Amino acid sequence: MSNNTLTSTTLSAAALALALGSALALSTAPAVGAEMEKCFGVALKGKNDCAAGPGTTCAGTSKVDDQSNSWKHVPKGSCEKTASSTSPTGFGQLMAFTAKKKS
Amino acid sequence: MNDQALFAAALLDPDAPCPDGLTTWNGSDPARRFAVYRNNVIVSLIDALADTFPVTLELVGEAFFRAMAGIFVRRTPPRSTLLVDYGSGLPTFIERFEPAHPVPYLADVARLEMLRVRAFHAADADPLTLDQIAQALTDPERLPALRVTPHPSLGILSSRYAVVALWAAHQGLGALSDVDPYCPETALVVRAGLEVQVIALPPGGDTLITGFATGLTLGEAAAQATASHEDFDLTAHLTRLLRFGALSSLSLPTEIC
Amino acid sequence: MTMQSPFTPSTSGTPACSDHLPVRAGLGLKPQHFTEILATCPDLGFFEIHAENYLVAGGPFHHALRRIRDHYPLSIHGVGLSIGADGPLDVAHLDRLAALLDRYQPQSFSEHLAWSTHGGLFFNDLLPLPYELSTLNRVCDHIDQTQEHLQRRILLENPATYLEFAASTLDEATFITEIIRRTGCGLLLDVNNAYISGVNHHRDPQAYIAALPLAAVEEIHLAGFAEDLDAAGAPLLIDTHGAPIAATVWELYAFTLDRLGPTPTLIERDNNIPSLAVLIAEARYAEELIRQSQRDQTEVAA
Repeated sequence: MSNNTLTSTTLSAAALALALGSALALSTAPAVGAEMEKCFGVALKGKNDCAAGPGTTCAGTSKVDDQSNSWKHVPKGSCEKTASSTSPTGFGQLMAFTAKKKS
Repeated sequence: MNDQALFAAALLDPDAPCPDGLTTWNGSDPARRFAVYRNNVIVSLIDALADTFPVTLELVGEAFFRAMAGIFVRRTPPRSTLLVDYGSGLPTFIERFEPAHPVPYLADVARLEMLRVRAFHAADADPLTLDQIAQALTDPERLPALRVTPHPSLGILSSRYAVVALWAAHQGLGALSDVDPYCPETALVVRAGLEVQVIALPPGGDTLITGFATGLTLGEAAAQATASHEDFDLTAHLTRLLRFGALSSLSLPTEIC
Repeated sequence: MTMQSPFTPSTSGTPACSDHLPVRAGLGLKPQHFTEILATCPDLGFFEIHAENYLVAGGPFHHALRRIRDHYPLSIHGVGLSIGADGPLDVAHLDRLAALLDRYQPQSFSEHLAWSTHGGLFFNDLLPLPYELSTLNRVCDHIDQTQEHLQRRILLENPATYLEFAASTLDEATFITEIIRRTGCGLLLDVNNAYISGVNHHRDPQAYIAALPLAAVEEIHLAGFAEDLDAAGAPLLIDTHGAPIAATVWELYAFTLDRLGPTPTLIERDNNIPSLAVLIAEARYAEELIRQSQRDQTEVAA
């Protein structure tokens, strides 16, 4: 079997034994230092632990969708709080967009 | 076209006339009543997307999200009755959707949210136990050739943007104004038990996990990940994956153990 | 005409693969109530789920449903089979439903007199049918196929509709009566739908219910609606399942129980979902009406 040089490179048994053995010990230990958690490795859960996505419906709705084809919206949500000088476009800029009509 | 084909086409096209052959008891315009069906379809599918992408919605606001989702729904109605997967095409749509370009990280936040829904409903599997790892360590010579199977719920997203920090700020963890959205992050999403977890991975983590997922051996994946980043710390990465139950089996694929 | 279906209601004993739902009130099962239901085990007759929401591999939905099923009878209600579609049924979907029914052994499985798919697309809404002979034949074929595939009798739910078709030659009650006669399926009588369609098409909901084959009813649905107007300003009710059950629908329910006797009854709420306690209160009221109809029947018998 001929592998390319990248995938045929493998870490040594000794290095793996050291890493996996240490991981075994560390993974059962109490959570690591607060500073490390702040940076990486802390697991985050969603609001209300709810990530279920949508369900089906057998009901109608009384909400009304504006089915206009003309586009007039600009992003006006929490993204405005992250606006920075590095932002390529900036916010609040009026964008004109018209959805393509079906031919 | 038959009657249901005409009815179906008119549901999705707001400019299509109301189909023929519809009646009302009082002779009122059936178009107004047909609009109830049209509205049910579009609004329920927009609602479905809003359920999958709550942070994406918050980032651009409800009016923008719903209008954008409405265009997506009309162009890409679901092809499955299982709505949990509906919206997997939304991130790519967002990328190409010009009005969303002022929020360049929006598509990746949507990708992270889709990974969470997938992880939520993914197959159950027991994470690797400490005994299984201890057993593997009794024969270190075999370690490089072991195959590592990620948990069925595992998803990974390498982003040019701070997807985890942006998402976390919408869960009440950290202030959004403190987040630099242009700081690249890799997100690991996994559900070892009942709760979906989102974890920011240090550099190289995606290489390691992608290696496992694509069938590289432990030795090969570890070597690739080590080569991918000068600060790669294999012990720290494996510790994290074990702690969050992100791996479900170790095996020697070709030999009978 | 002879009844050809092997799923003709049997006069002796219970169907082989299922028990019946208890003659009590039940609730639609919503994920936001999982924890409270498992912690408090409220005194309810049964729960009902939408099949399609549980056609996923694993995770918290199955975890919760397994535990809830251990304590309660279950009704599985399909919303995606598209029995009224003019194309063939999706056999892969039938296979998935069969696996789900096998896994949870529900007391009841029901679907809708409607279509929701066309040309490979899913509309997530229950769309209306013209009531004429070719539609009748197609719907009956699809119900026969479903009952054979699932190896059980299914219940068919009467729809809430906003429009009628010039092509219709039968009224809805006659259409449903004929389906039940030909296929041997049961009827899930949605009293809210009967009320909504009655208002929307200016017909008497009591006369509609009286014209249905009530002996085939095995479950009742109750829900709330929203009010709108049509192009002439006449009331147009929308079946939103997003509000408490209206007083007029409770009255129609009492009328129905009078005719039907005590019947398992589901409180459906799919939008603006309130606390579990609010839904339990509606279920309690339904059970009070069920008990009342039981007493009335006893008095008549005495």
